[in-house]
Amino acid sequence: MTTRAEFLERIREQVRMSPGRSPASSARRPQHPAAEAETIRRELVERWPETLEAFRREFEGVAGVFHRTASIDVVPAIVARIAHERQAREVVTWHSAALGADLAPALGACGLDVHPMPAAEPSGGAERERLRTLAARADLGLTGVDLAIAETGTLVLVSGAGRPRSTSLLPPCHIAVFDRTALVESLRQAGVFLEAWHRDGRPPAGGSAINFITGPSRTADIELTLTRGVHGPKEVHAIFVEQPIRG
Amino acid sequence: MSDAELTTPFRQRAGSAMKDEFLQEALTIATTKFIGLRREAFAGFPEGEALRDRARAIKEATLQHLDRHLETLIANVERLGGHVHFATTPAEARSIVVDIARRTGARMAVKAKSMATEEIHLNEALEAAGVTPVETDLGEYIIQLAHERPSHIIAPAIHKTKGQVAELFTRELKRPAEPDPEALTRIARAELREKFLQADLGITGANFAVADTGTVVLVTNEGNGRMVTSLPRVHVAVMGVEKVVPSFTDLMVFLAILAKSATGQKLSVYTSLVQGPRRAGELEGPEEFHLVLLDGGRIAQIGGPLREALSCLRCGACLNVCPVYRQIGGHAYGYTYPGPIGILLTAMLEGAPAVRDLAHASSLCGACVDACPVRIDIPRMLIELRREVDDEKLAPWTERVAFALLTKLLQNPRLYRFAAKAGRVLQRPFARDGRISRLPLPFGEWTRTRDLPPVASRTFQERWASDKDLRA
Ligand code: SF4
Repeated sequence: MTTRAEFLERIREQVRMSPGRSPASSARRPQHPAAEAETIRRELVERWPETLEAFRREFEGVAGVFHRTASIDVVPAIVARIAHERQAREVVTWHSAALGADLAPALGACGLDVHPMPAAEPSGGAERERLRTLAARADLGLTGVDLAIAETGTLVLVSGAGRPRSTSLLPPCHIAVFDRTALVESLRQAGVFLEAWHRDGRPPAGGSAINFITGPSRTADIELTLTRGVHGPKEVHAIFVEQPIRG
Repeated sequence: MSDAELTTPFRQRAGSAMKDEFLQEALTIATTKFIGLRREAFAGFPEGEALRDRARAIKEATLQHLDRHLETLIANVERLGGHVHFATTPAEARSIVVDIARRTGARMAVKAKSMATEEIHLNEALEAAGVTPVETDLGEYIIQLAHERPSHIIAPAIHKTKGQVAELFTRELKRPAEPDPEALTRIARAELREKFLQADLGITGANFAVADTGTVVLVTNEGNGRMVTSLPRVHVAVMGVEKVVPSFTDLMVFLAILAKSATGQKLSVYTSLVQGPRRAGELEGPEEFHLVLLDGGRIAQIGGPLREALSCLRCGACLNVCPVYRQIGGHAYGYTYPGPIGILLTAMLEGAPAVRDLAHASSLCGACVDACPVRIDIPRMLIELRREVDDEKLAPWTERVAFALLTKLLQNPRLYRFAAKAGRVLQRPFARDGRISRLPLPFGEWTRTRDLPPVASRTFQERWASDKDLRA
């Protein structure tokens, strides 16, 4: 078996054999990503309507369904309408703390079976299994959004306590709720936020996965025919809330 | 690739591919479509050209200090609670993964995004150890059910019709299937959903790994990459050492050009950044995370002639534009990685003698360099490879003698003029309708599959000397 030392030594040898074969330059990394991220946010306070419009265009371009509403209080009605149109009842949601609002009572009042995910880690394997089965059986998955990238129509979701990865993955329909604080213009800006979360150790959540989601799951593997919903959701909805969700 | 297939000479494999009418049509449609989509994506993206240069510079700079970046990556993966393994050879990589499977009592492994595991022939080793490997990318799944090999890096089953897939599903899955892509996809979704939920082990490759943060990055359209890294108890990622990038900032540069080059999408549907095993408070994510760093011939090229090929992102763009690939498809190449870049990767992984024939399976037209998001100069390396293959006396003697003569001719103008005259006389019995379609032995082999334009009645030099029009 190769040891770490041997392996790295062989690489070092090769690296020494090829000194300066090309001009070495890497992408410029932000010196103070947290400050730069703040600047991006500040600038977008003015520009968010254009950014939102660009997001909508791109998101719809990748077959996402865009909704816009004045306040978070209207979100349950939108979710219920989507559910009823699909004759669906079962909804799994992120925990209220992760969503920024407790929507379960209102969703329940609309006649849906709501299963909010717990804020803390399940105590045992059986409970874990039960929650996973709920997500696997659900018709809709309701989540928040940590970044919405206008350039590509992408939703970025960080996993963590109360924000399972399965909510946006296992149900055939994913509904994501966001406000202007999540908007960024470009992949480059999203990169600044990722750097900031990493560097100052304060990501939106403490989980080990960050997922970029750009529209519904798709494949073209059979005769290049575009088909949606192969493993992940067949539909993705994004609900933009005008008033900041966290007040 | 079975040994029997590999012992068939390349020419024969290519020949039968060219006689397969469905394959020909499928290849033309698929590659033409991908070329168009790629072109459109970059047309609407003015910063694309600068980003391509940037991406290439990042790759070069990273290779320059690969040891340091890998050390950083390793330290960060371990800090996050992951385990890092080192594999010099494919056999070593296989036994590392098989050991993990044994130790964790895995019975079934779901796989996603894994050219690297294809390269090391992992599935056979898992099966031998009593672990059932399940490919979960729809195209790969079809190929696995049919016991075949992928024919394109990003569209592995383009050589199959929907009718063939329907028959395959009906036979192998015992589910009556209609030849309709939508219905077939639904069946695959149901079948594979069960497997995702049951599997103990998730095995992936990696599109990138970010050194700074210990992040493994997987790009998929179907979502199988997310399933495989979220649901099973254990996740093993097998990754060539060249896949490391320094930071998230660098990663964004690659993400901005990768999908555009592959399928013309601005971004693939899912880009998953996974950093070690699941953390406190999380419902899903693996309990154990393993990263297997694979050499397999790569390390020797850091300072070697194929160094540039280490920048490859496996986007498939060079396959789509390659006139040879478009004619013969992926299978004829005979190894894991097809197309022009595949020839170089095969030489890297298997050694130059393995590509004795393949090194010539290129017209050196350069279309691949233009299409390549990181502008890898594939033709330059192919020429070098040809030279090496020829030096090693791996080419047939007729070819070596012919090229030695040609070299002499081209170096000596008088000899060249004489040869042109001689050629004009000697070709008379063979030229028909302005083409030479059959030459006598030992040159007959050359014209078996191609025509040769006859030597012109007057050479350019003769016309230059006598024609005033030409000089006007
Ligand atoms: S060589 Fe370039 S074009 Fe070909 S697969 Fe690699 S990155 Fe893509």
